[in-house]
Amino acid sequence: MAKPKIAFFDFAGCEGDQLQVANLEEKLLDVLAHVDVVNFREVMTERSDDYDIAFVEGSITRPEDEKRIKDIRAKAKLLVALGACATIGGINCIKNFMEDAQCREAVYGDKARWYPTYAARPVRAVVPVDLEIHGCPIDRAEFLRMVKELLSGKAPWLPDYPVCMECKQAGNICNYERGRACLGIITRAGCKAACVTEGAVCWGCRGLAPGANLDAARYVMEDLGGFSRREAQDLLRLFLGFSSAPL
Amino acid sequence: MPAYTVYMEQLPGLLKKWSADYSVQVPTAVPGGFYDFAPWSEGVEIAWDYDMAYNSHKRFFLPPREDLIRYDVAKCEAQPVFEAPAVLLFGVHPYDVRAIAQLDQIMESGAPDQYYLRRRENIAVFALEPLRIAETAFWGTMGTATADLGFDLYWTKIGPASFHVKVGSPRGEEMLLACGPVVKATLADREAARKVGEAVRKKAGENGLKFPWQEVPQVLAKSWNSTLWREKARLCLACGSCNVVCPTCYCFDIREELDESLQKGHRFREWDACMLSSFALVAGDHNFRPQARERYRHRYFRKGKYINDMIGELGCVGCGRCVRACTARIANPKDVFNALWEETR
Repeated sequence: MAKPKIAFFDFAGCEGDQLQVANLEEKLLDVLAHVDVVNFREVMTERSDDYDIAFVEGSITRPEDEKRIKDIRAKAKLLVALGACATIGGINCIKNFMEDAQCREAVYGDKARWYPTYAARPVRAVVPVDLEIHGCPIDRAEFLRMVKELLSGKAPWLPDYPVCMECKQAGNICNYERGRACLGIITRAGCKAACVTEGAVCWGCRGLAPGANLDAARYVMEDLGGFSRREAQDLLRLFLGFSSAPL
Repeated sequence: MPAYTVYMEQLPGLLKKWSADYSVQVPTAVPGGFYDFAPWSEGVEIAWDYDMAYNSHKRFFLPPREDLIRYDVAKCEAQPVFEAPAVLLFGVHPYDVRAIAQLDQIMESGAPDQYYLRRRENIAVFALEPLRIAETAFWGTMGTATADLGFDLYWTKIGPASFHVKVGSPRGEEMLLACGPVVKATLADREAARKVGEAVRKKAGENGLKFPWQEVPQVLAKSWNSTLWREKARLCLACGSCNVVCPTCYCFDIREELDESLQKGHRFREWDACMLSSFALVAGDHNFRPQARERYRHRYFRKGKYINDMIGELGCVGCGRCVRACTARIANPKDVFNALWEETR
């Protein structure tokens, strides 16, 4: 069987997820025995338009992005969204709650009118996506596992429960017990609660767990935790802004 | 069983001796007013008066993630992976000893769980009479305030610098005498230990079930259609925290991962939780407990009835960990059982 050809593409984002892939180092070399990388701007100069699997990083924020992602979709057999900007819109969506002109001026100054943008969206809002690898940035081990699952013909596994499950397994003391608001209660697991384990809180970068109970989360943050509606909203809109749920 | 009196000054020597053969785990204070078991080394302060260990001890017997087999796809070969490090849990409260004893019983029955049993063999348990009771605990009314088996030694702090130590197994006695002779407990010391236990149990009995724990299964049997399940589960985040901190929850999922060669791999098990929405998801996308209230009810039936139907004791020891771990404050076996008892009496 011919090796699948894989390509990496980036839209609005920091390319931090591709950096995570590059950071796999020797493990990446082992994986390269099974695939041909034809496009990976961050680590190579050659490029080709003939590919089977497209890994797409970043959000769709401009009209020309839309055309480009549709072209990638048409060429790829499998399209994999890589990282929070691509899977859930991520922090790019903060601007969706601001005036477009104000936001463009803050970024581009007096050149603002040269750069038309629209509301930031995840890839799946524009084209069908076959697989999403979550996180800001992605978890290297999880990326590797899902790629191996793809290559061995297995449906990639993704946790469908909140971060709390992994956080408690890690033995952490709950942030709410320490008087801190944390989105682990509604965020999809898979990160092994890395941020909480390192002493921070969960900001929700992996997106909502399927069936996340937002009413209960509000109750936990506002009624029990004593955080204001604004504090809860700010936290929810940091990564989870692209949602039909009332944030 | 014989009993001894051990003085605080003898402990450093003993701990050092034990840690040559065992990874010694002791209760320690965690900043913020919490307690948890942590590895002992010289200088680590043991929290003799801890009220509750934040995490249960089951992680030593059934780790959150554990390899089961390693396999080679190309060669069609597989070997089991057994790991059983020597661990000494020093300072386990009796309700937690009861939880360990329950896991022992469940893991031994049916198809004996070789992974658990091999680990168990290498884990020594030194029980410790509690001196304080966690605010959320209700073990004083769950029939779990004492433990008769499941420990190698049972320690009771009977003075500022002295312990009464009851022997629970030959291994325990051997470990206690590892640094030389220890004085036999006098009648007065035995009496002092009895009083310490009695006092803490009396206090623990003040907060808990309003009815005898033996009646929990009957109360549940009448409560299948209670509206309580829906009311509580409305706020359920389906996060599994109550399951993970529970000392008697042992459900796991089994998965596999290939290494980068795509030829060799390992099969492992990971803790699962019946409160997760996909816990009961099976082939064909069928989920036999799709709703939060069904999962919530299931957990309480499991703790208060199903385990009892299997082995004759409740699946809840009243440690109070889930009460703390639940951010929505809906996990509380004591409140649930009391409310159902009121409803059905």
